[in-house]
Amino acid sequence: MHLYSKSIIAFLIFLALFCLCSTAWSQAIDKASVSGKVSSASGEALAGVTVVVKGTQVGITTDQNGQFSLSGISPGNYVLTASFLGFETQEKAIELKPLQNLQVDFSLKERTFEIEGVEVIGKSATTQVNEQAYTVTAVSTKELLNSTSDAKEVLNRVSGVRVLEEGGLGSRASFSLNGFSGDQVKFFLDGLPMDNFSSSLSLSDIPVNTIERIEVYKGVVPVWLGTDALGGAVNIITNKKDNFLDASYSVGSFNTHRLSLNGAYTNPTNGFTFRGSGNYNYSDNNYKVWVPIVRNSNVVDSAEVERFHDRYRSGTLMLETGWTGRRYADNLLFGVIASGNDQQVQTGATMGTVYGGIMRNNTSVVPTFKYSKDDLFADGLSVSLNAAFNYTQGEVIDTLSGVTYNWLGEATRIPGSRDGEQSRTFTTLDDTDFNSQFNAGYTINPQHSLALNYSVSHFRRETFDSENPEKIENQFPKTLNKQVAGFAYKFDPSEKWTTTLFGKLYLLRAETSKEFDFGGETRRMDAFEVHKQNVGYGVASSYFLLPTLQFRASYEHTYRLPEPAEIFGDGLFINPNPDLGPEQSDNFNIGAAYGFKLAQDHQFDLGSSFIYRESKDLIHQNVRVASPVTTYGNLSDVRTLGVEGSLKYQWRELLHLGGSATFQDITDQADSLYNDYSGWVRNFNKGFRQPNKPYLFANANAGLTFKDVVAPASTLGINYYYNFVESYFLSWAQNGSKNGKVAIPRQASHNLEISLSLADGRYNIAAECRNLTDARLYDKFYLQKPGRAFYLKLRYVL
Amino acid sequence: MNLTKFTRRLALPLLSLFAIAAFTSCSDDDSNANPATENEQFVVSLALQGNDGIFTYYSVPFDDVMTGTLSAVGQGIEQPGYFDFTQIDKTLYSVGGLDDRNVVGISRDEKGELKQIGNVSFANPLSDIVKADDNTLVAVEMAGTSDVIKFHTFNANTLTVTGTKELPVSDITNLKAPAYAGMRISGGHLFLSYYISDPTTFNTPHTDKAQIAVYTYPALQFHKVIEDTRTGPVGGFNTKTGLIEDEKGDIYAASHSNPANGYSQSTKPAGILRIKSGQTEFDQSYFFDVAAATGGKTISHMLYLGNGKVFVEINTTNRAQQARWSDGPLKSAVVDLNTKTVSYIEGLPEHAGVGRRLAALHDGNFVYMAIPEGNSIYVYRIDTQNYTATKGAQVQANFVAGFSKI
Repeated sequence: MHLYSKSIIAFLIFLALFCLCSTAWSQAIDKASVSGKVSSASGEALAGVTVVVKGTQVGITTDQNGQFSLSGISPGNYVLTASFLGFETQEKAIELKPLQNLQVDFSLKERTFEIEGVEVIGKSATTQVNEQAYTVTAVSTKELLNSTSDAKEVLNRVSGVRVLEEGGLGSRASFSLNGFSGDQVKFFLDGLPMDNFSSSLSLSDIPVNTIERIEVYKGVVPVWLGTDALGGAVNIITNKKDNFLDASYSVGSFNTHRLSLNGAYTNPTNGFTFRGSGNYNYSDNNYKVWVPIVRNSNVVDSAEVERFHDRYRSGTLMLETGWTGRRYADNLLFGVIASGNDQQVQTGATMGTVYGGIMRNNTSVVPTFKYSKDDLFADGLSVSLNAAFNYTQGEVIDTLSGVTYNWLGEATRIPGSRDGEQSRTFTTLDDTDFNSQFNAGYTINPQHSLALNYSVSHFRRETFDSENPEKIENQFPKTLNKQVAGFAYKFDPSEKWTTTLFGKLYLLRAETSKEFDFGGETRRMDAFEVHKQNVGYGVASSYFLLPTLQFRASYEHTYRLPEPAEIFGDGLFINPNPDLGPEQSDNFNIGAAYGFKLAQDHQFDLGSSFIYRESKDLIHQNVRVASPVTTYGNLSDVRTLGVEGSLKYQWRELLHLGGSATFQDITDQADSLYNDYSGWVRNFNKGFRQPNKPYLFANANAGLTFKDVVAPASTLGINYYYNFVESYFLSWAQNGSKNGKVAIPRQASHNLEISLSLADGRYNIAAECRNLTDARLYDKFYLQKPGRAFYLKLRYVL
Repeated sequence: MNLTKFTRRLALPLLSLFAIAAFTSCSDDDSNANPATENEQFVVSLALQGNDGIFTYYSVPFDDVMTGTLSAVGQGIEQPGYFDFTQIDKTLYSVGGLDDRNVVGISRDEKGELKQIGNVSFANPLSDIVKADDNTLVAVEMAGTSDVIKFHTFNANTLTVTGTKELPVSDITNLKAPAYAGMRISGGHLFLSYYISDPTTFNTPHTDKAQIAVYTYPALQFHKVIEDTRTGPVGGFNTKTGLIEDEKGDIYAASHSNPANGYSQSTKPAGILRIKSGQTEFDQSYFFDVAAATGGKTISHMLYLGNGKVFVEINTTNRAQQARWSDGPLKSAVVDLNTKTVSYIEGLPEHAGVGRRLAALHDGNFVYMAIPEGNSIYVYRIDTQNYTATKGAQVQANFVAGFSKI
């Protein structure tokens, strides 16, 4: 409570300072002016046209000759709007330098209909996304295209974001966003939910050059994403250029090879489009870890050894064809995604047990359909429909008999035993999943618009274990139906202020098996059905105090429905939990973003947000005792308080610096806890911080870009990345003597990257060193991550 | 460009970072630390449940367990996972782990601080660890899903594994599957008691005889399985006290077949059998008819005190009406193995067990144990001569997993 008020006060002071300083600063700079002429498309001068600098009080109407002049404007980036009855409103992005008199002319087109959607010109898609009422960060990958990064690594540099990895390439990565983690944060690929995509299409399988930008929604998620995410959402937007070819190959430590080929062709006359991308990833992941060496049950030594059973390989092919920019459809695309992976399993949820034979693999085929059209039937009515049918087959294989391994890869055999390493199994998981999203938006007028979303997903799993064909729980079908319907009303009373009100309806139906009457005469495994129905609602608002100073606030009462893997398990290290319920949360977010220029060449961008969240029945991955297996359960009452701040600085095109820091205090608020043996018991940890989760982390980066220095039409970039995570305890911090407690130590890592592109970006080469100081890096449960590693990437763009 | 303005602008982002740093400083609670002393101290192993359902164990030293509260805040040896505590001589052994399965010996160093010894790791959880002689401990790995039983021999001073013997489960039974119930080593033999519990349903369809597997010691060769039909299987689920050993090396085996401790049926009366020191057969001349001595009740936990006296927990519900797995309701008593009499303890509320090894300390004429009462837990000091009990400190934990004095 004490901490809570402390953080609110600090945040308010922070905001107050923000406002004061920005007012003081803007007065100090020499003013500029803008003038020009407005004419019709046919060249006729237009009198009485309203010309305003968007987001300011500055405006005027044109004179008899169509001329206008505006003065006394602080230097900076603006949008100039020209609007006139009967003509389409036009906007132009301008940049005003001190004392400059900029000349801007408008040529207005006659309006064909009464109402027309407002088109924003001159802001990059990344900026537009950043200015939505939602707390959202858009990361453009423009500067990163030559880097050896993948989607996961790009995300790890966003403030409030923490990617927790279990190991090297292909290892399970979990994602935490402002204290939300795992599947509380939903991932989308071009607006299509990635939920049930196979593991071979995970974040680390998406190379950076297939990505145009990544949008990270913190807290409230826009209705059009139609999701039951309660922590936020990440939307990965892939390249949408009409015609291009992009091929890259990267090679690096631990025998890592990544190949990516990516292209699009659009026929300019008939709009016929073909897009394709393929990638292949391979790594032995044989990085060194510091581990105890066990021989004859004694820990004889601790040594740095290579992981020996951790190979990962995956391949993905994505093809999409159809028509774009036609009268009947802006996009009408049919596609198919085919992917496969196989993976050696080195450890379970912790590094305590080591395996030498367990394998898991997946193949999946996903036909997709996308349709979108703006102004369908009526002006201002836009619709889109995305659908995917996903068929995935997975295998979990633990069939080595009577063998145990130590970290040196030495096998100890027990003659005559048929025990598996973990639990003898050869399980086949047949998953089918249909999911679809329908969106409709209607702009009544520039002040009022409506949006409707309906998403449905149907998941079905059939499981068979050839080593245990009679396994009772495999005899029951497992299905999960989820429907989310959302309705939003957007109100824009002025160009400075936008507000969205929304409501969502969540429906869940799961069919699975459950054990009944444990320990009784009637103990049995039987079919089990769950029906849940919840209503969520919220409001999100943003206001521009200055053209470049935005405040955002949002509140949401929301639910998250469990994912198939959480209810049904994964057949190996995740046990099913049919009783897992939806989690509920009340989220408050407030934030501010401010961008300004100092003198002419110093661009600063600042952002900060504060989060307060009360979660009930938080879905959480619990490690089972004395075993590498985990189960998802509900944490009854958890509170999150968090602040984050980010800063970016750019000097001309040469230098950029940036950094962000996040503090999140996630505390247990439950009075009592339930266990099967004793029922409800007192919670002695009430009010204390949730263990095994990073609570303070930060990152920073610095980069230099030299244009045309090495050769004409060349770019040389040097980038440095720093990552920091404060030490945190594996279990509850307040109990036990401090010196004997298991803690994940404080971690700092450095990455350095040099890239060179020639011939206007046609030929590219990049070299990267990750974990420069060879620091020991860990994640939850002490899982060790790779030490120093080198990567080289070659890329060709046509 | 004015420099002061510039610094003012830079101050802002720095401020936001400092603000974050300020939030992270937390105040620590003062705890009633127990300074190390040369005298023996009580060590209470407190189990605290996390909101994820996982328990963490804290073995905390206390000079006084009869007044105030016993808490793990800021003190004690932390062990996350699942741990079972058993004291052998002046060392408290914690058996269990989180993913990794190990044994840690907790004892006191020269300065009187608690120290941990042992650096071992096993593929499966150990079911129990017992004393073989002053320098040797023996542990058993026994899982319903495995087809081998493993015995590990330890050097008791260093807690290192000196040998491992793997033996097929099929030696002792072809039924699925034997579950561990007790182990004792006496007179050149290792006695392993077990009951048959289906690993998927946990039902116990075979309850018409007591069975104990006999292995040679120290060779650890399978010798035979001895059986007795006067009573049912020896021991029960997770209580690990099916067998006790007296000063003479005689082994006593208690059978209860009680649903409260894992049985789905019972077909024989409760009773205690004896294997005389040096013998490998049940003593046909000895039978303690527990059912007769208690009026149809059963004994679920035992702690050997000396001179044929045993501290026991007696289940007070008739076996036929007993709720399964409940490990209660229990009344504490002292039984005399020779006179076959039962003396109930006065001043102790009827209570439930925790479905695990009895966490009770035998210290001179007293037995210390933690008794749940409503939503709280209290230490009770039980006088084993007068059969009375005194209420002591309140325990700030969800249950007490071990009670020792080292």
